Amino acid sequence: MLNFDWLADVPIGAARWVFLVLFIVIGLVVLMIPNEYIYAGLERRRWWHNLKLWALGVLAFIFVTYYVF
Amino acid sequence: MLTGIDYVVVIVYLIGIMLLGFYFKKFVHSSKDFFLAGKTLPFWAIGMSIVVSDIGALDFVGISGQAYRYGLAVGNFDWIGSVPAMLLAAFIFVPIFWKAGLYTIPEYLGRRYNDAVRVVASVTWIIFFAFNLGIIFWASAVLLNALMGWPIWVSILLTAAIVGLYTIFGGLAAVVMTDVVQMVVMFGGGAILVIIGFEHVGGWDGLVEKVTARGPAYENHFDLILPVDTQTPFPWTGILFGLTFVMANAYMIGNQAIVQRCLAAKSEWHAKASMIWGAFLKMFIPVLVLFPGLMAIVLLPDLEDGDQALPMLIRTLLPPGLSGLMFAAFLAGLMSSIDSMLNSTATLWTKDLYERFIKKGASDQHYLTVGRLATVALLLFGVATSPVSSNFPGIYVAVQTFLSFFQGPVFSVLLLGMFWKRATPWGGLAGLVGGITVSALLYAFKGALFTIEDPFLYVSWWSFVAGFVLTITVSLFTKPHPDARLGGLVFRIGK
Repeated sequence: MLNFDWLADVPIGAARWVFLVLFIVIGLVVLMIPNEYIYAGLERRRWWHNLKLWALGVLAFIFVTYYVF
Repeated sequence: MLTGIDYVVVIVYLIGIMLLGFYFKKFVHSSKDFFLAGKTLPFWAIGMSIVVSDIGALDFVGISGQAYRYGLAVGNFDWIGSVPAMLLAAFIFVPIFWKAGLYTIPEYLGRRYNDAVRVVASVTWIIFFAFNLGIIFWASAVLLNALMGWPIWVSILLTAAIVGLYTIFGGLAAVVMTDVVQMVVMFGGGAILVIIGFEHVGGWDGLVEKVTARGPAYENHFDLILPVDTQTPFPWTGILFGLTFVMANAYMIGNQAIVQRCLAAKSEWHAKASMIWGAFLKMFIPVLVLFPGLMAIVLLPDLEDGDQALPMLIRTLLPPGLSGLMFAAFLAGLMSSIDSMLNSTATLWTKDLYERFIKKGASDQHYLTVGRLATVALLLFGVATSPVSSNFPGIYVAVQTFLSFFQGPVFSVLLLGMFWKRATPWGGLAGLVGGITVSALLYAFKGALFTIEDPFLYVSWWSFVAGFVLTITVSLFTKPHPDARLGGLVFRIGK
């Protein structure tokens, strides 16, 4: 129980997809954040101020890393 | 050993850092300037400061040493062990902390729960930082002595004098802006070593081919996901439950030295952006400090101690001048860790304990002076206690273990405090104290309870679960704060 033995039979390929699905879910949640919340605290808005793009870029990078390795 | 040109590089670097840090003295007129840089910091500086504060000279050697032994799985700590947590911090916790005008994380716990929770959290961090200072001073000086032949006390006194000067007078602004330079030096030194290393091992394909050809013990050296029954401390279940869900969040959301920088951002947007920018930079840390460990498997096979991998690689590969730059990168790691601990501990002491319980209602100048004196006292304590750690070889692990007792429970209390307005002061205190107790018990009986050698990832998960369940259970039987008191302290969708 404490050692997660009940997950010992999960194939490594399936375990990898647990991580990849986690990144996809986080990405979907990020996409749902309202723009008003993203831009709060800015007087002038530019396209690169959209922090959702930043977050999705970081998630894409880490998704590829975990897909490859 | 250092040559003449290496010494020039190092001395120019040290003088530059000291002058840059001291320059910020003229901007410090109030306690807000000292502890929060007057809330003027831009996202790019904060993000760089977060990354460089998180990796010290010892981590440079330790991570490459672990990569030598265990392979790429060590990279989990900077990839999945940082990115999701930093996004959660950026979009949920940091904006609420910033808008609440906080100076410290325990201050949030005090407002959300009560002073008892605040004091437990604050005292724990102060003890950790204070003892860690001496340990890091000594261990880093021993490392620099082995690497470059510098006398141990020269390293300690020189770094203490330089860091002390700009931290005492320049406050958080000096800490963060010197960190920006330290990060550039650290990334530059690391990148040069990796590029030269790749040339020697025949590029990425050559590295993979030569490492995996060394036999079955190395066949998983390029796998991030390791099976549950792995002999390493990094089974995928531990990485997912212990690291991703608990330790990473506790570190990125509950660590004063990390979050204090975001609280000093010049706007809410900059506070959020700093964490995401930091997450982006953090993804390159494994490339700089982990890959040299993998290269050493090819270039320096059969080392008895994996921690020798990076120092030996530097001696083997780097010409004069570049050795000096790499040495400066080690110093950058040391100084950026020390300055963060000094400033954060001074903030915790002044804001959570002194101003709250010892002398309320004094002038702002009084608290500024107290903050500076606390920094001096901590620095002297760190230098004075540094040789003590040489008499207790296990003290580094002991202090880190002490902090790991605390990570799971504090995150459970932070999480419920942020998302569940029904969480009560008694619930928070029970979750924090009960969770820490569970951690201590799990460690005490780890030989009987766990199958892997160092179960710190599992301990953090189960202590989080204990803190979470205890907080909810006790909260259901005790009285919550009225809604009016929770304004701005609990996350609400659409607000």
